[in-house]
Order: sequence, then C-alpha cells, then structure tokens
Amino acid sequence: MAISLIPLVRPGRDLRVDFLRGLALWFIFIDHTPGNLLGLATLRNVAFCDATEAFVLLAGFAAGIAYGRIMEREGWLQAAGRVMGRVGTLYVAHIFLFVVFTAQVGFSAAALDQAAYLDELALDPFTQEPYRALLEALLLRYQPAFLDILPLYIVVLALFAVTLPMIRRPIWMLAGASVLYVVTRSFELEPPAWNGQSWSFNPFAWQLLFVIGIWLGRADPVKLSQHFPWNRWIALLLVVLLIVAAALLNFFWHGATSGIEMPERLSGWMASIDKTSLHPARLASVLIMCWLISHLLPPGAAFLFGRTAGSFILMGQHSLPVFCAGIFLSFLGRVAIEMSDSLLMQVLVNVAGLAAMLGVGAVSAWYDDGGRRKAQALPTAGQKPKVDA
Amino acid sequence: MKGRSLWMTAVALAAGIGLWPLGLRAEGPGCGAPAEYLVSGPLPGTSAALARGNLRVMVVGSASTQAGGTSSPSATWPQRFVRILSARTPGLNVEVQTFGGRGTTAADHSRLMAEHGPGLRPHLVIWQLGTVEAARGLSADDMADMVQETTSRVRAARGERTDMVLMDPQFSRFLRANADVESYRDKLRLAAAASGAQFFSRWSIMKFWAENERLDLERAPRSLRVTIADELHDCLARALVEFILDGARPAPR
Repeated sequence: MAISLIPLVRPGRDLRVDFLRGLALWFIFIDHTPGNLLGLATLRNVAFCDATEAFVLLAGFAAGIAYGRIMEREGWLQAAGRVMGRVGTLYVAHIFLFVVFTAQVGFSAAALDQAAYLDELALDPFTQEPYRALLEALLLRYQPAFLDILPLYIVVLALFAVTLPMIRRPIWMLAGASVLYVVTRSFELEPPAWNGQSWSFNPFAWQLLFVIGIWLGRADPVKLSQHFPWNRWIALLLVVLLIVAAALLNFFWHGATSGIEMPERLSGWMASIDKTSLHPARLASVLIMCWLISHLLPPGAAFLFGRTAGSFILMGQHSLPVFCAGIFLSFLGRVAIEMSDSLLMQVLVNVAGLAAMLGVGAVSAWYDDGGRRKAQALPTAGQKPKVDA
Repeated sequence: MKGRSLWMTAVALAAGIGLWPLGLRAEGPGCGAPAEYLVSGPLPGTSAALARGNLRVMVVGSASTQAGGTSSPSATWPQRFVRILSARTPGLNVEVQTFGGRGTTAADHSRLMAEHGPGLRPHLVIWQLGTVEAARGLSADDMADMVQETTSRVRAARGERTDMVLMDPQFSRFLRANADVESYRDKLRLAAAASGAQFFSRWSIMKFWAENERLDLERAPRSLRVTIADELHDCLARALVEFILDGARPAPR
C-alpha cells in the first residue's frame, strides 16, 4: 500500500518538515487515547515537550512559507483573508469534534451504566446546563479534555492574520512575540474560560513557538545554518541534557517515586514545568531537538524517500484533515480501549488508527492533485499557491 | 505400573503446587497490591505517635471518603483504616476525623485543613484529591501549587511532626477515557515529592486489581456493586495500613 502512496507526496518541499509533522500527528493520536500502550513510547515520555510543541512549531514553519508568499505577491488584505479563511475552517472543525466528543462521553457513560463511585465525574456539563455549555463551547470558553489543540491553533492563526505585515521584519516579529510571552508568563494573562477551567494551552504564550516556526520557515537555510553552526561538543552536551531529562521524567515524573527519593528542590522545579503557558524548559526542549534534527537528518537523506517516511510525509503534507481525523479516531479508540484493553484491542486500535490517518492523507493528496491538474488545464483559472498551514 | 503411578503423583503434585495460590488465596499483604506501591518514605510524626500509643488522623478528600458507593459511611476506607490499624498495633488508640465530600477540590480541602487542622493537631493527614480536578478540567498546575503550599503549611504547623500522605483518584476506565487523568497524577506525584509528602497511588493499586480480576468495581454487575465497593474499600484500607506502617517503621532506614 505504501508504495502506491509515494507518488502522492508533493516534491519540492523540505520533506523533513513534512515527515516530522506526520510523526507529530501520529503521536497526537496516540497521546489522545489514554490507556494506549504506545503512549509509553511517544515524545512526552522522554522529553519535557511533546508532540503539541512539534506540531505548533511546524505549523508556524508551514504558515510562514505559504502565507508569507501570498503576502509578498498579493498584499496584506489578501493574505489575511486567506489566513482567516483557514481560521474559519479550523473553527468549524473544532465545533464538529466537540459534538462528536459530547456524543462519545454520553455513549461511554450509558454503556458503563455509571457505577456509584463515579457520581462526581460530571464530565458532561450538558446534563446540568445544556444551552450554556453549547454557548460556551462556541465561544471557546469551554474546552473538554483532549479538545484543546484546535482552539490554540485558531487564536494563534488569528493573531498571525493581524501581525502579517511584520513578517518582513522577522526580528521585530520575534521580539514582539517574546515580549508577549514574557508578559503572559509574568502577569499570568489568560484568555477567559468557563466554570473555573483554564485553557490547556494559553495562546498568548504558545504564539512564541508559532512565530519561531514562521521565522525558521522564512529564513534562508544557508544563513540559518551559519547562525547556528554545527558544533560536535555542544551537540554532545545537548544530547546528554536530553538523556538526563528523559531519566528524570521516567524515574520521577511518570514513574513510581517509591524507593528513590528525589531532592525536594529538583522535584519542586519539575512540578513548576507547566504546559499551559509553555514553560521555558519545554520551549528549550523542542528548540534543542529542532537544531539537532536539522543537522543530523540532512534534507536529502535516503531515509526520507523510503516507504515508512513516505507515509508520514504524506500525512504531514495534509496536516489539517489528518489532524482532525486523528482526533476523531482517538475518540473511537478511547471507547474501544475503555471496553477492552487487551493486547488484541491495542493492536487493532493502533493499526486501524494509523491506516485511517494515512487513508485520509492519501485521499486529500489525490483530491488536491486532481484540483491542481484541473487548474492547469484551464488557462483562465488563476494559479494560487497551495496553502496547507 | 509402579513407575506410572509415581509419575501421576508427580503430575498431581505439580498441578497442586501450581493451583495452590488460586485455591487458598494466599495473597500478599494489602490484598495482594504490588509491593512497590506499599513502600512509603519516612513518616516521623506517625512513627512517634505510634510509639506513644495515640494517633490522630485527619482525612480530607472528595466522595470516596464519605460513602463512595459502600453500604454505609462506616464501611468507607477511612473508617476501615482505623479498625485495621488498631487491630494490627495492639494498645494503639486511633482517632480519625474526615472532612470534605462529593465534588470538593484541592482548594476546598486546603481551606478545611486551615480551619480544622489547628484544633485537631493531627499526626497524619491523608489527603485524597485529583478526581474532581480531572473530571472538571480544572488547572493541574493550580492544583499542584495548592498541594505544595498546603503541605508546607500543615507540616510546618507542628514543626514537621505532621506527616502528609497524598492519595490519587480511583482507577476508572471511564475517567481515563474521558479526562486527562495522567497529567493530574503526574502533577500530584511531583507536588508530593516537592513538598515532602508521601504518595499513595490508589490508581495504580486499583488498576492492578482490576487488570488481575481481583476487584473491579466498574465492571461489577449492578446487584453486586455495594458488596464489591465494600470489599474495595476494605482492600484499600489494608493497602493503606501497609503503606503507613512501612513509612512509620522505627528501625533505621
């Protein structure tokens, strides 16, 4: 199957970015199905950051290239219009997934016949305040568990539409984003939320990662590698740091604490690493990995042209439909694993999940490909650059 | 013929040895909970109180501390904990007071401890939390901050002679599927380590029981639920007693 998918991969881009994006999408699917044994092998188990950081950074990278080009050719209004069009698509996708989530929780609760000790798990505010919950969901002020990445993406992209002209002054854009990040963290700024909840990912902090992505996407790769040249010793030091982080995470963060006592100060520091407002340790982790991978995996690596990488590249090139499909599939996976967490079910959920995500990627590629050919056949149709950010 | 009967005896003996644990239910302490979850760090306040023969325990938490589907409030794990601990340590007088209730959060618990702690002067505080936060999607970071602040305050009040034990949510496939429980448990574990509290992983122990078909409240038929809830609370209390006694061992550690 994978062989026939390779021709669908769009050439002429940095395939590493698409590959990593595809991998991040797969990890997001896995991490969104708690109880999934593969969840023990994703990024979050070995680094302070997880697939969300990679996803946002690479989304910025792709957005910088695609919308930057439109901005240069057609101006702010056109480019901002396209960005907002994408924001609209993301919003509709989010509301659709919200409806699916609500149905899934209802199904789970009914299937389980709610044991008495679960009575405080009022996971479904629809039972108490159905109209209010719907309104708050539309306002993004109510975000159920596992439906938190799209709201972040929506706000960050909308901010990007406003700040697009700054793309010509990347240093100013970075500086502005850094200031907003620092102010957000220092004064605990946060978009409003309902019912004492908080945003899982504070967009005012996370925008920095997106902007770094934009900047990396727009930068001249040659200049970039001159600015951040390869140094074997720094690389070695960073690899050691990552290994220490992985050990800390596995011994103390995710693992049992019994037996080994960690110094209180160290655990205090680790407890302070928040995901909500993108703690600097998380930011540093993802950037360190980005630097290491960009040097260790050359753009022309034979691996990228193989079958396995090709499948992930295909998913990464059609990230929005594959992301939404992944979240949707994770709902089904959760119901399945809730019913049985046997090894057979684990294998079934993961094989079916990955195959379906790959299928969505392939169908999107095929659809785009058809569209492009049609556009070429009609000389009057304006050639618009393909946007997938 | 003789050789054959010897052979049969050997087979029967081997089968008998193999089946023996099933027949006699010779399970380990704490209803067979994995030993690694019954190991606690030092609990000096409790240790000293046990030596004096008088232990004051404050239990703070949400629904399971009050009823949690058991047949009566006296069947809950805090009450059973007192009875089992008293039986295990003859001559010990244990007093327990329970605070909190259904739907209460870490912030509520912190207020309750500030209000009732000074009057009660407990040697041991057992703080059960995390379920409500996870179910409602409240901030895990705020919960961790609250745990660290409160633990430091409670421990400082009696000059480090009050021990704090945190207890995480009950294992539930439903909760796991519909809320991001792992993030909350990770934060609880770190907050405990950061503030000198001990961490009793009810989730891991109950997950072990559920996966090994020892005790599975969530999959119990409706008619057996109260009976199984009672047994679950009994086993939780037994495991907790093992955990506390491990932390309170007077021997040099």
